[in-house]
Amino acid sequence: MPASTVGFEAKMDHASLLKKVIEAIKDLLGDCTWDCTNTGMSLQSMDSSHVALVNVMMKSEGFARYKCERNLNMGISLASMAKVLKCAGQEDNVIIKTDGDSSTVTFVFGNDDGDRTAEFELKLMNIDVEHLGIPETDYDCIIKMPSGEFKRLCGDLSQFGDSVAISCTKGEVRFEAQGDIGTGHIRLSKKGSADKPDEEISIELEQPVSLTFALKYLNNFAKATPLSATVRLCMSNNHPLCVEYPMPEVGHIRYYLAPKIEEEAD
Amino acid sequence: MGIKDLSKLIQEHAPAAIKESEMKNYFGRKVAIDASMALYQFMIAIRGDGDVLTNETGDVTSHLMGMFYRTIRMLDNGIKPVWVFDGKPPELKSVTLAKRKERREGAEKDLEEAKEVGEGEDVEKFQRRLVRVTKQHNDEAKHLLKLMGVPYFEAPSEAEAQCAQLVRDGKVFATATEDMDALTFGSSILLRHMTFSEAKKMPILEVHLSKVLEDFGISHDQFIDLCILLGCDYCDSIRGIGPKKAFDLIKKHENLEGVLANLDKKKYPVPEDWPFEVVRQYFQKPEVTPGTDVTFKWEEPDEAGLIAYLCADKGFAEDRVRKQVDKLKKMKQAGPVQSRMGDFFKVIPSEAKPKPVIPAASDSKKKDTDSGSKRKGAPAEKKSASASKKPRCGR
Repeated sequence: MPASTVGFEAKMDHASLLKKVIEAIKDLLGDCTWDCTNTGMSLQSMDSSHVALVNVMMKSEGFARYKCERNLNMGISLASMAKVLKCAGQEDNVIIKTDGDSSTVTFVFGNDDGDRTAEFELKLMNIDVEHLGIPETDYDCIIKMPSGEFKRLCGDLSQFGDSVAISCTKGEVRFEAQGDIGTGHIRLSKKGSADKPDEEISIELEQPVSLTFALKYLNNFAKATPLSATVRLCMSNNHPLCVEYPMPEVGHIRYYLAPKIEEEAD
Repeated sequence: MGIKDLSKLIQEHAPAAIKESEMKNYFGRKVAIDASMALYQFMIAIRGDGDVLTNETGDVTSHLMGMFYRTIRMLDNGIKPVWVFDGKPPELKSVTLAKRKERREGAEKDLEEAKEVGEGEDVEKFQRRLVRVTKQHNDEAKHLLKLMGVPYFEAPSEAEAQCAQLVRDGKVFATATEDMDALTFGSSILLRHMTFSEAKKMPILEVHLSKVLEDFGISHDQFIDLCILLGCDYCDSIRGIGPKKAFDLIKKHENLEGVLANLDKKKYPVPEDWPFEVVRQYFQKPEVTPGTDVTFKWEEPDEAGLIAYLCADKGFAEDRVRKQVDKLKKMKQAGPVQSRMGDFFKVIPSEAKPKPVIPAASDSKKKDTDSGSKRKGAPAEKKSASASKKPRCGR
C-alpha cells in the first residue's frame, strides 16, 4: 500500500490549546468519540450520570493544517489523551493523524526549531455512542461574564451547599446556595466596559428565569476557564443550562446541565 | 429459577445489551423489585455462624435485616423502590414446585446425615438448600416496608411478571431482580445486583430487552420460545439441548413448532407432557394487575413504629436502627430533584459502531456521521424520561 493512506491529519500550532481542551472535559467524561469531518473535530458526550452533556467543536479553520478525506469516529480514552498531552512542551505544535483503517491515532509534538519531535500512539476504542439532538433554543436569558468570575462564584457557593439557585431579573442576576452551616448570596449587575470587553457583564433578558443546578457539575465546567476569558450562561425555565466557553477562531466548548426540579406531588 | 443460561447467551450474542453502571446513576428512578427473589437471597446471604440470623427468641431476622438496610441503600442513592411480592403460584409451576419440594426433602435427609457425620461444610450446603421464604417472612417484610414508608405491591401471581407489567405501563423505570425471566415477561430494562450488599462492590448490570432482541435477531415471541427451550420454571426442557443448540434451533426454525418438526426426536427426546404452547401463552399474557391505575407513594417513616418493631420485637440494636431512621427522614426533605439530559434532549437513533475507526462517508446507512449539523435540526419538544422509555418488545 502507498504511504498516502492517511485519512485524517490535523496540525495545531499550539499543543497547549488541545491540552486545555482535554483538561476541561476529562474529569467529566471517560471514554468518548471524536467525530472528524472536513468541517472539523467535534465531540459530544454525557457524563456517566447523564446529567451533563459536553459538546466540543474545533473547526477546521482553527487548525494550521487540516485534512480529513473521509469522516471518522475516533473512540478514545480522555485520560489517556491527557497523558499524551502532558508530554507536549509549552511551545510545541501538534499533529494528530490516523488513517481510515488503523486502530490507533498518532500525536506528533514538534518544536519550532524542528530539532525535536516526539511521537505517541494511542489505541482507539469501540465506544457505544448515543448522540442527543440538541434543539436550537431561544433562551430566555443570556448572561455573559468573565470566566474567572464564574469559576470563583461556583467555588465560593460550593462551601455552603450542593446546589445553586440562579435567578435573573432585569439588570441583575443572583446566585444563592444554602446548607447546614448557612447561606451564600452573590449578586452580579450589568457592567459595561468598552475598553476591556473581557470584564464586561451583560444580561440579555427575554423573561425572568429561576433555576436550580448542582454545583459539583458547574465546578467541573469551570475547568474550561483557561480556554476563554469570558463565559456565556444561557438559561430558560425548565430547560438545561448551557455554559459556553468560546475559543476564538477555533470553536467552543458547550456544557449542558439538567436542572434540579421541584418534585411533582404524585 | 429463571431461564437457564440466558445471561450467558446474552453475554455471548448481545454484549451491547448489558451496561455496567453504578447505583448512584439511578437517582430519581422508580424501580420495581422482585421481593421474593430478594428475600430468598437475603436469607441465603445474610448469615451468622453458617445459619440464618436469628434474634434471642430464635426468630429468623435475615430477611428483615436485608430488607431494611438494602432498601435504605437504594433510597440513599436517590432510587425509589417499589417492592413486588409473589401471589399464588400459577398452576403451571406446580411441576417445578413439586420438584423443589422433593429436593428440599432430600436435602433435609442429607442434612441429618451430614450433622451426624459432622461435616461442617456439608451441613451448611444442605442448610442453604432448605432455605424457604414463608408467608410469615413475607408478611413481616411488608410490615417493615409500611413502617419505612416504602410502597409495596402484591402481585396476583408471579412477581417478575408483575414487575414487567409495571415497566410496560411506564409506572417504573426497570425491574430489579436476578431472575432473567423478567425479560421473557417483557420488562424492557432489567437491573441486576440492585439488592446486593455494598460491600460486595458489584456494579449494577442494566440489561436492555430491545437490544437483546435486536442483536439476537429475533422477535419477542421468538425470544419466549427460546427461553422455553433453554429451560424455564414452567415446564421441563428437552434433554441434550443446551444454550448454543437452543439458540441455533430458534434462529433456524423460527419457533418451537418449527423446531419440533425438524428435531431428531431419538437424539433429543421431547418430554411426554410438554405444554409449551400453554407456557408460551403464559409468558405472553401472565396473570398481572394492570399498572395504569396504581400510584406509589414514598412516605415519612414511622420512627416510633420502626424502633418498636425492629428493636423491641426483633432485637435489632437500637442505636444502629436510629441512625438509619435519621437517614430515612433526611432523604424525605432532600429538596428539588436532579433531572437528566434525556428528559429534555432526545437520542438521535444511530447505527451500531462495528469498528473503532469507521469510514463513514462510504457507508450510506450511517445517519449520525454529520451529527454536528444534525443536532441543530432536532425537534425541540420536551420528552419525559418515562415516556421515551416505552417498552418495545414486539407484542
